[in-house]
Amino acid sequence: MSKDISILIVDDELSVRDSLSNWFLEDGYTVETAEDGKSALKKLESFNFHIVLVDIKMPGMDGLELNRRIKSINDEIIVIVMTAFASVDSAVQALKDGAYDYVCKPFDPDAVTHIIRNASKSIQLSSENLSLQERIKSLINIDDIIGKSDSILEVLEQVRVVSESDSTVIITGESGTGKELIAKAIHMNSTRRFFPMVTVHCGAIAENLMESELFGHERGAFTGAQYARKGKFEMADGATLFLDEISTISMKMQIELLRVLETKHFTRVGGNREFKSDFRIICATNRDLKSMVDAGEFREDLYYRLNVFAIDLPPLRERPEDILPLAKHFIKIYSEQMNKETCDIGKRATKALENYPFPGNVRELENLIERAIVIGNGNTIRLKDLPFDKKPEDPTWESIDEMEHHHIESILEKYSWNISKSAKALGVDRATLYSKIKKYNIPKHQ
Amino acid sequence: MPSIKIVPIQFAQVEILEDLLPELSTHFRTEVILGSLPRFDLSPYFNPVRSQYDANEIIVELNKLVVGEMKIVGVTDLDLFIPVLKYIFGQAYLGGNAALISGYRLYNSRYGLPEDLNIFADRLKKCMIHELGHAFGLIHCQQPGCVMLPTTYVEEMDQKLTTMCSSCFAQLRENQR
Repeated sequence: MSKDISILIVDDELSVRDSLSNWFLEDGYTVETAEDGKSALKKLESFNFHIVLVDIKMPGMDGLELNRRIKSINDEIIVIVMTAFASVDSAVQALKDGAYDYVCKPFDPDAVTHIIRNASKSIQLSSENLSLQERIKSLINIDDIIGKSDSILEVLEQVRVVSESDSTVIITGESGTGKELIAKAIHMNSTRRFFPMVTVHCGAIAENLMESELFGHERGAFTGAQYARKGKFEMADGATLFLDEISTISMKMQIELLRVLETKHFTRVGGNREFKSDFRIICATNRDLKSMVDAGEFREDLYYRLNVFAIDLPPLRERPEDILPLAKHFIKIYSEQMNKETCDIGKRATKALENYPFPGNVRELENLIERAIVIGNGNTIRLKDLPFDKKPEDPTWESIDEMEHHHIESILEKYSWNISKSAKALGVDRATLYSKIKKYNIPKHQ
Repeated sequence: MPSIKIVPIQFAQVEILEDLLPELSTHFRTEVILGSLPRFDLSPYFNPVRSQYDANEIIVELNKLVVGEMKIVGVTDLDLFIPVLKYIFGQAYLGGNAALISGYRLYNSRYGLPEDLNIFADRLKKCMIHELGHAFGLIHCQQPGCVMLPTTYVEEMDQKLTTMCSSCFAQLRENQR
């Protein structure tokens, strides 16, 4: 760590500069010295020092003024002031002006070592914090969401727009279309990204537990409530609350939810204390809430409260051009996870995927690819690796040549390009099969 | 390979230094000799305000005595300081040719305990190897037990070994190439 830390020593006494410089060099730090404030500022212009040790009493610009100037240039530089016992008041003033700490000259060797070590830790934590923030920013980039169809590009544009606001969002779409991923993308690109996205799967929580899950409870609120517990609203303070399958909550909870959404105030179950929480709501459903409102199954006022910005995710069958990019994306993920060399997908397998209606949407596609990589051999997913019960849609081939071409290709794929076995299955000799492969220019996928 | 010359300056336990020579020679794989500087006067480096001697200034003078490829180590019983620190056990410049050791705070009697010259010799050896380590370009090490671990008090010094850890030792050999 010390090798990464640079220290600038500013003192008008050469002996102090030399002693300190040697002291820190022996500890492995990068060290520079300056004899006054002016040359220190010049050195700070050309090099980004982490720590500056400043003597308070110097001719010309004193240490207090230098500390203020350094802080105005770069607030992140750690300034440690050095003082004689007589000028502790000045050191206190320096601390008020933003200095990190002060040491009295001559130092106890332990004191200065500890101060520098603490400052180094503080620098390390700041840099870790920055790098983690950068990692969070890059976790879900809107541009990284796979899809090239017009409908998905339109959805991504909506995500981009709504991320910048704090509005409530309702995401609709069939099961498996990626509603939670879109919710994460909105959260990760919003100003709340450094707080967590608190997720509540409303459909998975029993109705009698829902109230305590959302609002939390006080100790003794009900049998078994041995400890007070925070609810999801409280946990989502400053963050995003994602309510998945919102359509499954009871009418009673709908009333409670509406009240909290409007006031952002709530009380824990069994408690009197009122809590305030600053959360942003994103909810998702695979049902048509409007028709539920018409049928009297969902409160109209809550529907309008939630439906500030609606994003409708199209099912995969309506955007077949996204199937192949998504399949390739999942191949990359699962082949890495399973340490397989699968990196491509065969022609016939692609055609079969593109013709499949995917009732389970992207989730189903993901499962198909995962399965295919598990059972497949070689580096290409073939039709036989996919669990389609029926043959692909009726072929559109018209000429005998076209039919022969595709039949030979399918047999070759079936027998993993084993020419002898394929020739035997086709009822021809190997030389004929070779000439047919050449004639139809059938590519061999490795 | 630079040789090492140990010079006692107002130092009482010269025979302890003599005993140290073979071990230092093995550790640093070079010739180690004991010299003398009978006319080396330390009084100009006395600071009456601190009642201590300025190690930096003495090292400047020791440096002038270096001839050819040599590391010179002065050893004294006087109390040493450098301007920023209250006291020091020893001082050397990273990759420099001169070092200075003070035995003043290494005696048990300094802390109200019965004198034990074996303990003193052990501490002196650790200081010597530590400062020579700096002179051969080694920085402080945080490995517990390593002689290059920085120490402020004799109690801490007693916890470390008289040898370098494997990585410091490897670095020493690398620097000596």
